[in-house]
Amino acid sequence: MSSPARWPRRIRPLFTLYLPVTPFVFFALFPLYFMFVTSLKKNAELYDVNAAPFVIRHGVTFGHYELLSKDTLFWSWFVNSLLVSVAATVISVVLGILAAYSLARLRFLGANSFGVAIFITYLVPPSLLFLPLSTVVNRLGLSDSLWALVVTYPTFLVPFCTWLLMGYFRTVPKEIEECAMLDGCNRFQTLVRILLPVAVPGVICAALFAFTLSWNEFLYSLVFVSPAELKTMTVGVFSELIRGDIYYWGELMAGACLGSLPIVIAYVFFLDYYVSGLTAGAVK
Amino acid sequence: MASPRTVLESRRVSRRHFLGAAAGGAAGLGGILAAGRAPAVAQTRELTFLTVASFVPETDKELKRQFEEWGARNKVKVRLDIIAHLQLVTKKAAEVQARSGHDLTALGPGLGDADLYFDYLADLNDVAGDVAPKNGGWLNPNDYLIRGKWKLLPWWMPPFPMAVRTDLLEEIGEKNPDTWEDWLRVGKKGKAIGHPFGTALGHSADANVTLLSILWSYGGSYVAKDGRTITINSKETRQAMEFVKRLYTEAMDPEVLAWDDASNNRCLNAGKCIAIHNPISAYESAKKDKVIAPGTQREIADVIDHVNTPRGPVDRKATTGFWCVGIWNFSKNQDLAKDFLRYHFQPDNLSRWVDAGHGFNMPFLTNLTKHPVYKSDKQYRYIPEVAKVSVPPSWPGPTTAASQQVWDLYIIPDMFAQHATGKMTADQAIAWAEKEMQEIYAGRKRRP
Repeated sequence: MSSPARWPRRIRPLFTLYLPVTPFVFFALFPLYFMFVTSLKKNAELYDVNAAPFVIRHGVTFGHYELLSKDTLFWSWFVNSLLVSVAATVISVVLGILAAYSLARLRFLGANSFGVAIFITYLVPPSLLFLPLSTVVNRLGLSDSLWALVVTYPTFLVPFCTWLLMGYFRTVPKEIEECAMLDGCNRFQTLVRILLPVAVPGVICAALFAFTLSWNEFLYSLVFVSPAELKTMTVGVFSELIRGDIYYWGELMAGACLGSLPIVIAYVFFLDYYVSGLTAGAVK
Repeated sequence: MASPRTVLESRRVSRRHFLGAAAGGAAGLGGILAAGRAPAVAQTRELTFLTVASFVPETDKELKRQFEEWGARNKVKVRLDIIAHLQLVTKKAAEVQARSGHDLTALGPGLGDADLYFDYLADLNDVAGDVAPKNGGWLNPNDYLIRGKWKLLPWWMPPFPMAVRTDLLEEIGEKNPDTWEDWLRVGKKGKAIGHPFGTALGHSADANVTLLSILWSYGGSYVAKDGRTITINSKETRQAMEFVKRLYTEAMDPEVLAWDDASNNRCLNAGKCIAIHNPISAYESAKKDKVIAPGTQREIADVIDHVNTPRGPVDRKATTGFWCVGIWNFSKNQDLAKDFLRYHFQPDNLSRWVDAGHGFNMPFLTNLTKHPVYKSDKQYRYIPEVAKVSVPPSWPGPTTAASQQVWDLYIIPDMFAQHATGKMTADQAIAWAEKEMQEIYAGRKRRP
């Protein structure tokens, strides 16, 4: 039995860590919980204004998930979202790495201006860009294909990745690259063999954000792709499950729950990379 | 059998032939590349149609069936793309900007798109002329002409009757309410037993519809027939505003200020509201979902009735979303698109389409207002009556881009809500709305 003197030490984290964190956890998880609960409620309970909104009282139904799977093209939209997000993320991260390396490491006229320009590009909202981009997409002959999204998503992802990675690369000491160059590496080899392994957390962070932004994107997907079977999940769910003044709340929430899964999984798998400080070990 | 020499000779190509064929091929390929499309003989003709998800899903299925049937008959590949109605504004803007997209497009809600996109829409005078005689004529053809032309075909409207809980009506001892004052009384009594009246007073299409209906029913309007003079500042508007203030404070809950288009459906189907001013969509979804009235074993759909849109001291008028269809003039398939419209607007096809929608989508054609579907369920009996008194939102003024902007910016709901909630006096709210409308109409004035 532990002595009473040790109790404060054991109880301390409860007050300094768990209790302060609880409201934030509740705040972050509440939308997911509400989505999940709503997706399992019967329509009659969803309509009942006297029902408690946060608990299920009249039995669970999987009917909303069933309707979503059988009566809509949900899984096609899911796959489309996945394909577009992965492709746009890979392209954007690769381009972002090259651009960020150039801006962080190379000395050339206007390097700083380029950096600022990229940052400003990132600030231009897609709601302004979609009109001119629709002309570009049309000229390229990419309308109504997933390629339209693979090509246009990097317009907001590349500036973001570049900007994020530029800052990250600058935190990596130049000396380790200079050592590699003394040993015979050229610029590209230095980037691939020395800098990138050190910058894995930064790259993963950029990839995660890029994937999340692509996965959640709505406007370009709505404007550039029309055929039902080519829609991404965000647009497909909205198009099919909001019919005028009838909202299919159960199915909408079921779609939102399933749509959240890839993001949740991605963050669960890569969270450690995301938060770990590998650079500290790299300079030993 | 031919000798080897003969065969070889027959295959031999002279230099002149070779150069000629090569030049022809290069020119042809250049032409294809320059035009960006395959030669006519190699093309598969494709007609595309962008429309909004119907409030009754079976309508979309029937439209798709007709589109595919027409495509099969004419050997044309067809593609029907369906989006939520809230997405249509963005999609139209992008297609016009790119001068590319679908051939046929849904337009609306409202006829204002025809003025806004006047330069990008094909003339449909010929189609409108062909369609009308077969269907008993257009209901109010002058309303649908934009700058004197048919730039769109009015397609369907969801008329706004009054949906009411008959059991609650009986409970409060009311019978056959018909005027707006009757409904105020019903709402007051309903609110007293926990079942308020429900109509949106926020930024929603339903709020525009109901408040314009009240304004006209009290003799008011916001723009004159000339389409220039703002007429909102009138004693009739003040009377209408005083009525809405009483309706809001005595018969409704404050939540109506935050309502969207789905909220009144939910209020009725949840068993809370005694009545709502709305198309039959609430009833249709209650019927489909078999929603039970709270505290009873009866389905809500069994205790809902639909009656005529209310009459005011001066008139009985209403409006609704005027959903239309048009053809972009940058479409390469305008003739095909017109042909499909003629096909879809054939009496048989329109009839099947109305049937599929359970009467929700009423065409603007006289014969269709007498469709058997409106007698198939007693809930639908007043829909043709409401359709007859439904006018475009700019009434008595013409539909223009400016009137569409007044609708889109919710000037009318804001004016009513500011007074109803006591934030402004009636004079202040009217003065605000008048200034907003004058600026919109001045800004949209067409230059010669």
